[in-house]
Amino acid sequence: MEWLDTFWSTYSTLVLTVGTNILLALSIYLTLACGLLTVANAAFMGIGAYTSALLTIHADLPFLLVLSCGALLPALVALVIGHPTLRLSGVYLAMATLAFGEVVRIVILNAEETTGGALGLNGIPQRTSGFDVALAVGLVLYALRCLACSRVGRTMIAISQDEVATELMGINVRAYKLLVFVFGAALAGLAGAFNAHLTFFISPSEYGFERGVEILTMGVLGGTGSPWGAVLGGLLITILPELLRGLGHYRPIVNGIILIVIILYSPRGLWYLVRWARRSAQPAR
Amino acid sequence: MKSTQILGGVLLVLGCLGGTSGAAEIKLGAAEALTGNASQYGAPIRKGLELAVSEINGSGGIHGAKLALIFEDEQGKKEEAINVFKKLIFQDRVLLLFGPTLSNSAQASDPVAQAAKVVVFGTSNTADGITSIGNYVFRNSVTEADILPVTLKIAGQKTGFKKVAVLYGNDDIFTKSGYDNFRKALQELRVPVTTTETFAKGDVDFKPQLTKIKASNADAIVLSALVAEGAPIMAQARQLGITLPFIGGNGMNSPRVFELAKDYSDNLWVGSPWSVENPASENKRFIAAYQKSHGALPDQFAAQAYDAMYIAAQALKRIKFTGKLEADRSAVRDALPVVQWSGATGAFKFRQITGRDGKPAGYDAVQTAIVMSTKDNRYVIQK
Amino acid sequence: MLAQQFVNAISLGGVYALFALGFTLVFGVLNVLNLAHGAVFMLGAYAALQGVVLFRLPVLAAIVLAMVVTALAGWALDRMIFAPLRARQAPHLAPMIATIGVAITLTSVVEGLFGAENLRFPIQMLPSEAFSLGGAQITSLELKIIFLAFALMALLLWGLKKTRIGCALRPLAESPKAAALLGVNVEGLFSATSIVAALLGGMAGVLIALYSNAVFPHMGQPMLHKGIAVVILGGMGDIRGALLGGFFLGFAEVFSVAYVGSTMRDAVAFGLLFAVLLLRPEGLFGKAEQRRA
Repeated sequence: MEWLDTFWSTYSTLVLTVGTNILLALSIYLTLACGLLTVANAAFMGIGAYTSALLTIHADLPFLLVLSCGALLPALVALVIGHPTLRLSGVYLAMATLAFGEVVRIVILNAEETTGGALGLNGIPQRTSGFDVALAVGLVLYALRCLACSRVGRTMIAISQDEVATELMGINVRAYKLLVFVFGAALAGLAGAFNAHLTFFISPSEYGFERGVEILTMGVLGGTGSPWGAVLGGLLITILPELLRGLGHYRPIVNGIILIVIILYSPRGLWYLVRWARRSAQPAR
Repeated sequence: MKSTQILGGVLLVLGCLGGTSGAAEIKLGAAEALTGNASQYGAPIRKGLELAVSEINGSGGIHGAKLALIFEDEQGKKEEAINVFKKLIFQDRVLLLFGPTLSNSAQASDPVAQAAKVVVFGTSNTADGITSIGNYVFRNSVTEADILPVTLKIAGQKTGFKKVAVLYGNDDIFTKSGYDNFRKALQELRVPVTTTETFAKGDVDFKPQLTKIKASNADAIVLSALVAEGAPIMAQARQLGITLPFIGGNGMNSPRVFELAKDYSDNLWVGSPWSVENPASENKRFIAAYQKSHGALPDQFAAQAYDAMYIAAQALKRIKFTGKLEADRSAVRDALPVVQWSGATGAFKFRQITGRDGKPAGYDAVQTAIVMSTKDNRYVIQK
Repeated sequence: MLAQQFVNAISLGGVYALFALGFTLVFGVLNVLNLAHGAVFMLGAYAALQGVVLFRLPVLAAIVLAMVVTALAGWALDRMIFAPLRARQAPHLAPMIATIGVAITLTSVVEGLFGAENLRFPIQMLPSEAFSLGGAQITSLELKIIFLAFALMALLLWGLKKTRIGCALRPLAESPKAAALLGVNVEGLFSATSIVAALLGGMAGVLIALYSNAVFPHMGQPMLHKGIAVVILGGMGDIRGALLGGFFLGFAEVFSVAYVGSTMRDAVAFGLLFAVLLLRPEGLFGKAEQRRA
């Protein structure tokens, strides 16, 4: 089918980016579901991207192994810094993770010998395929579904509702927070590894404040109550600029306005809008 | 009835003849930063390309066929550059494309063009690692590696500096790449460096670094920056009482330096193949035409874009179009390397370089640099 | 060199403090991380520039114009965005995302109207007298900025303690419901805070635009970055904290450039931030939140 061929040639990068953005949004959904506002995911994405890219370029390891390392290293880093950082809460945690993110970016920038510094790493072979990304997203969504129905999942919701009460029930809140933080970091790292093997080139500036804000926006816009919110958020933020392409100069302005309108009219995110619409469509019980 | 049939037949034949003679259009693509921070470079590039297209079309086009330039906004982001390249190549089916604006984006999007076997012609990418992507990658923006040694030598002769301080932006690929080339050139010329300082994009205060430089007793300051930071740097240096000459990369070759650092813009040395003061007739014609249609002086981005379109046009004129896209795109790639042209930026030809794997790759620009210094709000060419 | 670097540190600190004052005010009272503060700051700079270029206003009048424009922006921000979200009982992250949208929109509009390249004030406007203090140069503009930062802080502190409105702000921040029950005009106060914060941001925008002589659409972004660092250091929502955090960051940055190396400047600043957060999360002046079971 020629139409499908042309479509895929033109939009394959876009579709795959939707996938990696969904993974990023899921990584922040996970931490938000536990009541943690962490903004370090952009930095974890960067660590995953550089780790996997360097392994491919210098050691030419098989893709699956590279992906695993890309997810593993950020998880380890999260384990190390999570301990002291997760004592904080609320906006303080957000700010600490933001500061940490900046430090990571600066380290990558200055470690020129290994990472190429500001010049970035180029010539990364294109290894990401639609199948890999779809599989990853599917597996994560399935895992989250299982989690939500399990005791662990319910404990997480309890922590996000009232931490003190949960602690009083004898739950080791610190351990749960750390688990969620580490898992979120692994997801972000995986997304980074996928992205690096999709766009041939990575540089430190991509994993800074703007990326962090974008990930947060995807998570909140889609809705923090359900993993499907993250899917919606990732999808919308990625394809919106493409949909608005015809607007030329007005594209960024309309983009900003749409963001404002969505949040104003559905502050809990798009997912709630979808759920509300579905509920209204059902006959009254 | 018979007469209507004959009339209809004649009209049909005439229609076909009319169709084949003037309706042919050559579609070219341009992916530039039209919004976002990089649009300050993308906008003059667009103006330069469009000026060239209107001139070429006005004087007969390519053997009668008109050039149609399709612009897409890549916003200075690498993902957008990839998406836009793909759209131009696969949906709009252009013959070749210009751009993208930033070297960062080029690293990500040029491989797409290479894989699709479509010529990508960069007019503003100067970092390393771009033309080495493959033999469909061309650029007419001269790399700093070729120009900086000349700038340093001539500036050294005229100002007599013995040791320099270096200041560069360490988080931008353009300024960092410029710094690497400066450092190599300084080493080869055996000029000692008293201190090396850095700044980041978006900084507004450079006094800590400049104070340190002043205390190091250098004779000149080597600066790798774009005008957005470079002009405030010069202004703040003069305010701190530093009167040393500045030696800049081609990021500082812009008449905007005079607006932004007015009264503080003297004694800046820059090397570039294009100078607004170059009295060559092609340059003067270009500057006059640009001023007429845009009401402002052109800068280096506009000049290089303008020449790039003319260079591409020369290649297009030699091709026999078969109507089959793949064959035509391949023909463009074969016709381009041998083009020689003398435009606003002077005499030009291509030089093929070798890629990472040792095989011949893309094409860099070969041009002579003009070294200028600023005085009283003008660039003065130094021989 | 030490004297000059000291002077550099104070003037940079003043710049940061000025920006952070408005930012911390919105967080302290409205409990919103106002990521549009950078855009409002930029708006102030452009308003003043247009005042000078289009209407040929003198410097002071241009600054007043900038303050009027940004005060309007602050009012609009509260009326059109924060108030509806409060009414809808939005989750506490929603207003922050909305401010991101506002920042994108404002920046793009300005870029569309005026272009992305740097603009500058006409040279006559810039005070060029430089004074020499013990071997260091400082311009009159820098002195004005430092003075203004202190003066504004004093004014705000006085206002918060001595005026009725100011006294109502603290209980308002703690619990809007309780304050409403006590007869406080909650919505009006929130609006007023947003206006004052935007006004401060706009003023900072003009002064910093004069200081660096560069006006461009994205100028708010790096300042926002630093502003966040300043309020963390000083304590979120604390006025004195914004000032001292600003000077602390200014000194940290200048002295790390001077004595460590300029490449490490941002690493030092953010590393310090991280350390402060771990050791004293409420910042130098903030109050530790305590929840007792």
